Amino acid sequence: MSAHNASGTVYGLLAEFDSPSLLFEAVTQCRDKGFKHWDVHTPFPVHGMDEAMGIRGSRLPFIVLAGGITGLILATLMQWWMNAVDYPFVISGKPLFGLPAAIPVMFELTILFSAFATFFGMWGLNGLPRLHHPLFSSRRFRRASQDRFFIVIEAQDPKFKLDETRDFLASLGGLAVEEVVDAADGAESVEG
Amino acid sequence: MAHHHAPSLDDTKTTLDGLGRKVFMISGLVGVIGLAVTVVLGLGEGDDLRHFSFSYLVNFAFFLSISIGALIFVPLQFVTKASWSIVVRRMAEVMASVMPVMLVLAVPVLLLSGRIYGWADPAVAGSHGLAHKAAFLSGGWFTARWIIYMVLWTVFSWYFWRKSLKQDDSGDLALTRKMENMSGFALVVCALSVAVAAFDLLMSIDHLWFSTMFGVYYWSGGFVSFFAVLTLVTMGLQNTGRLTRIISPEHFHDYGKLMFAFTFFWGYIAFSQYMLYWYANIPEETGWYLLRSQNGWGWLGLATVFATFVLPFCGLISRYAKRNRKMLAFWAFWLIVAQWINLYWVVMPEFSDSFVFSPMDVTGFLGVGGIWFAAVTRLAMGHSLVPTRDPRLENSLRFENA
Repeated sequence: MSAHNASGTVYGLLAEFDSPSLLFEAVTQCRDKGFKHWDVHTPFPVHGMDEAMGIRGSRLPFIVLAGGITGLILATLMQWWMNAVDYPFVISGKPLFGLPAAIPVMFELTILFSAFATFFGMWGLNGLPRLHHPLFSSRRFRRASQDRFFIVIEAQDPKFKLDETRDFLASLGGLAVEEVVDAADGAESVEG
Repeated sequence: MAHHHAPSLDDTKTTLDGLGRKVFMISGLVGVIGLAVTVVLGLGEGDDLRHFSFSYLVNFAFFLSISIGALIFVPLQFVTKASWSIVVRRMAEVMASVMPVMLVLAVPVLLLSGRIYGWADPAVAGSHGLAHKAAFLSGGWFTARWIIYMVLWTVFSWYFWRKSLKQDDSGDLALTRKMENMSGFALVVCALSVAVAAFDLLMSIDHLWFSTMFGVYYWSGGFVSFFAVLTLVTMGLQNTGRLTRIISPEHFHDYGKLMFAFTFFWGYIAFSQYMLYWYANIPEETGWYLLRSQNGWGWLGLATVFATFVLPFCGLISRYAKRNRKMLAFWAFWLIVAQWINLYWVVMPEFSDSFVFSPMDVTGFLGVGGIWFAAVTRLAMGHSLVPTRDPRLENSLRFENA
């Protein structure tokens, strides 16, 4: 799995394509090979890519739901405890804990915690924050935000075998296949 | 979509053909019999048609709210230049264009207004509570306003429907431009007139009560019902082999999103209206809610909160539910019933202090609903069920949710 070359650990293999239709064909073949740790990079959203890659739905909605329910419960308990237990105080003849008066805050905290859960959940699932990504060391990859389409198969994929996977990617009809090296990792291994 | 073909209009049937006549006859018959039975039941009450008036008002207001939902939906698609909705727009166009029939159905409400509306009671004429409203809330002007509303709504709904039909023949792109130019103006005029119409139709039953939010309350409930009806009508047509493939799970997903969004919007509006009055606790404002929270009405009100908001909110929140045909059909049906119950809770406590329910409410639903559906079917007959030459049709056919 941990393939090395002269300058450090191989992060993965990058294949470059110049049209979405070629990319689609290639992506379908990668999916059928059963790769798990791989990704596709395009300059614009390509409809149907998720299905072509065989990506299952994100776990994020469940994290958001949990966040929202936490906010709802917290807001209810907080208002009940503050207004009816810790410091009971009758305001304009309303019950110490009146549900209608409590609903705006319940609503707000539900939204707030859902938003937090969405934001930080997305970070967590994507392994953020990180300041560098091995793909940034590839000059070729810069065109991912302009006019080229890329497939990356990571070295940590159980089915990844440097030579075999390179040959496979080369057979997909792209422009080029490149070995991406994790420079930061390489520097560390030199020291060690 | 790069990798497989988008469906085309040739893949399916896009006209009603023989089905139209059949549905028109059956629903028309249900409507006429339903109304006749309702009148007989109403006369049987021996209360000078008082119960009948209120019961009829609930059903009239309900089906009017669906057409009003469609009336707003159509120009909304043009003002936003939406493309997802092209394949479903024609159905909305005909649902909005039945306004002339709604004017006929409004006649009983106008004739019986003396039994429904607080301001029409001679005993309150000249009373302090009515002093500044008397000029507005008077029989003649009330009837005149209903004619104005219906003329306005007919003009705008027919504008879009007829232009859209014309484009089916000519494919003229200038028609789309014309409809886009008209859409903003149509939305403003329709939104304002719908708000005032809601004040007239439902809020003025209690001439002392007022809520600036009431127009939005009525409209947003109707918008939910409209999407629910559109969902069920689409499914019904697909079950007969019409509009299959061209209306895909992607479009149903959008129906679900809109139902979910406006379920929440309705809940937000309804609660905002309630909370302010609950908190301020001023007699002339809370009276309306007090009447509706006692003698059985309170339980119905609570049931409304769950039926129109809490349960469908939980039921429609997931993407899976919106894309599952059976679940979406269930919630569409549920929301129609729930919104009807909400209108019942708005209107009927003014008739009786304690909870009532009569068979006449159901027969009236079938009566007004039958006529409404027959009219919609009649307008849909003889034309394509989708705008065949809309410039954005292709985008709608290949539409996918991101």
